[in-house]
Amino acid sequence: MPRVEFNRICKTYADGTRAVVDLDLAVADREFLCVLGPSGCGKSSTLRMLAGLESISSGDLVLDGRRINDVPPQARDMAMVFENYALYPHLRVFENIAMPLVARRRPRAEIRERVQQVAETLQIVEYLRQRPQTLSGGQRQRVALGRAIVRRPKMFLMDEPLGHLEAYLRVQLRAELRRLHERLGATTIYITHDQEEAEAVSDRIAVMENGRLQQLGSLVDLLDRPINRFVAEFIGRIPINMLPARLAGDGQNLQVGAAMMPLSGAQSAKLRSGGTDPLTLGIRPEHVALSSGSAGETISGLSGRVRVIEPQGDSTVIIADTPAGRVSALVPSGCVPSAGEVIELHFAMDCAHVFGADNINLLRAARNSE
Amino acid sequence: MSTIVPDKKNAVGAATGARNLAIYLAACLFVGFGLFPLYMMITTSLKTDQQTFAWPPVWLFTPRFQSYYNALFVFGGRSADHYLFNSLVVTLSSSALAVFLGAMAAYGLARFRFRGNRDVAFYILSTRFAPPVGFIVPIYLMVQRSGLLDTQIALIVVYTSMNLSFVTWILRGFFLEIPIEIEEAALVDGYTRWQIFLRVALPLVRPGLAATAILSAIFSWNEFLFASILAPGDAATIPVYLAGFSASMNIDWGEYMAVGTMAVLPIMIFTLALQRHLVRGLTFGAVR
Repeated sequence: MPRVEFNRICKTYADGTRAVVDLDLAVADREFLCVLGPSGCGKSSTLRMLAGLESISSGDLVLDGRRINDVPPQARDMAMVFENYALYPHLRVFENIAMPLVARRRPRAEIRERVQQVAETLQIVEYLRQRPQTLSGGQRQRVALGRAIVRRPKMFLMDEPLGHLEAYLRVQLRAELRRLHERLGATTIYITHDQEEAEAVSDRIAVMENGRLQQLGSLVDLLDRPINRFVAEFIGRIPINMLPARLAGDGQNLQVGAAMMPLSGAQSAKLRSGGTDPLTLGIRPEHVALSSGSAGETISGLSGRVRVIEPQGDSTVIIADTPAGRVSALVPSGCVPSAGEVIELHFAMDCAHVFGADNINLLRAARNSE
Repeated sequence: MSTIVPDKKNAVGAATGARNLAIYLAACLFVGFGLFPLYMMITTSLKTDQQTFAWPPVWLFTPRFQSYYNALFVFGGRSADHYLFNSLVVTLSSSALAVFLGAMAAYGLARFRFRGNRDVAFYILSTRFAPPVGFIVPIYLMVQRSGLLDTQIALIVVYTSMNLSFVTWILRGFFLEIPIEIEEAALVDGYTRWQIFLRVALPLVRPGLAATAILSAIFSWNEFLFASILAPGDAATIPVYLAGFSASMNIDWGEYMAVGTMAVLPIMIFTLALQRHLVRGLTFGAVR
């Protein structure tokens, strides 16, 4: 059963660019792993090394216990789906899907049967006689998927396969991808820069930046327990609030602007042991509550003036200016203050993250220990 | 009021109509200018001597094919078909070789990164910078020493080498236009480099293959200098044979033009057949 291990993999290009640095990553059999990151973070290089399209500068790439650094792409038994589909423009859809089988010299009857089967799964039977240029983006992507699944490979590698599609098609196709994965059970590595997509299709998400793996986990992990400032800022539908903070003299409170935020025992212990100023408080808009008018009722409030109101359906994003900086809050659309109003912002401190000067999350796993 | 609008329209229509007419006239004149020698050649080959030299020129006449018959079956020595056949063999072989070898070289230059890649590509093109007369003596000596004087092989080798440089240069541009992902997809699909070259890359540069094939064929078919020196006798090509005509005492214009027509015909058919690709091939990249 396929199991892939990246052992201290590095990729340095001829011009000196370090695309991937010391990557350690193990992908389990039948897992659907998403690699998520901003463009240029090394996720495509990682996938291309796995496919054999890019040489590995150092480290070991291990597939089922066998080092495959020098195995040519033809012999790796992986199927890849490219962002721009990479269909063969001179061949019809049928021949496009049949290509991997032709390469393996399967008998003609078997090829016809398997292509037909795949075309039925992907609902592209009626296009089999057409050329790729005559198809829409969504249809082309189905053909590319068909070409990948027709040979039943050990692994699927997908490089932003839905990147060029319209929003509604993306949602539709990613659901199909997930269904296909559950049916075929092949290990899949999927690259995207869209966290919603990553969440929808994958079992685990690997976040990369600057060629380094930052964190590996489920989306909930990444949201609630970001390992560092980059992950906290990169993950999340609405950007996390980052406010300068420092540990109050008594060690029991976090001082943000003039406000004192009470810390739990475990939190304050962690901050006292590892915290060095300057600290940064990270709090998601979902964990900020509002109260208007009655100021000074609680010490954990930060007062601010409402600047921007962004309705988002049943909830609304409020952006307020506070002495400590801009803070956004996600509130139910029923109780939205008006612009210019002075409001009190309350942070759910048990969901807060505090980052030290080295951007590491000092409170990570704080809630686990509680 | 309503009558004004159609009037205006007609005025505009007439203006563009007149402009179109002028453009068509100019185009017709130009085409006529280009085709007139061809017309003269073909009609002369179908006339009797009296008709050829008559004044005013005879425009309407009953065509006769005596000149063709004479050129092919009556003339002493080797007749025109022998040299036509030589030309055909030399042209087809050298063009096919040049395009095939050039495609492989171009693919290598386009797809593999190695030190001095661009220098090699430019060096290949630079071999065409010198005028061919400049190296006719060394080539003559090489052909002579290898005992290939007056053989088709000598001409095939020389023409192939001369065509190879521009075929390589043009096709390199075509290969560079193929998105690299298509070939990477083929690699992952399980194809070897050689299979990708044959099954994916070559079909995708078909317009380029057609364009370079036509250009090499025209060159080889028309080439006179090397042919006359390296293969003046039995292996002579049609231009050399044609040149021999004007050297004889009195020129049989009918037969001369008949052979000329037969010499032009194959390359015309070849070019017309591939013309669509030629236009697409030579403007490739510019139109995208």
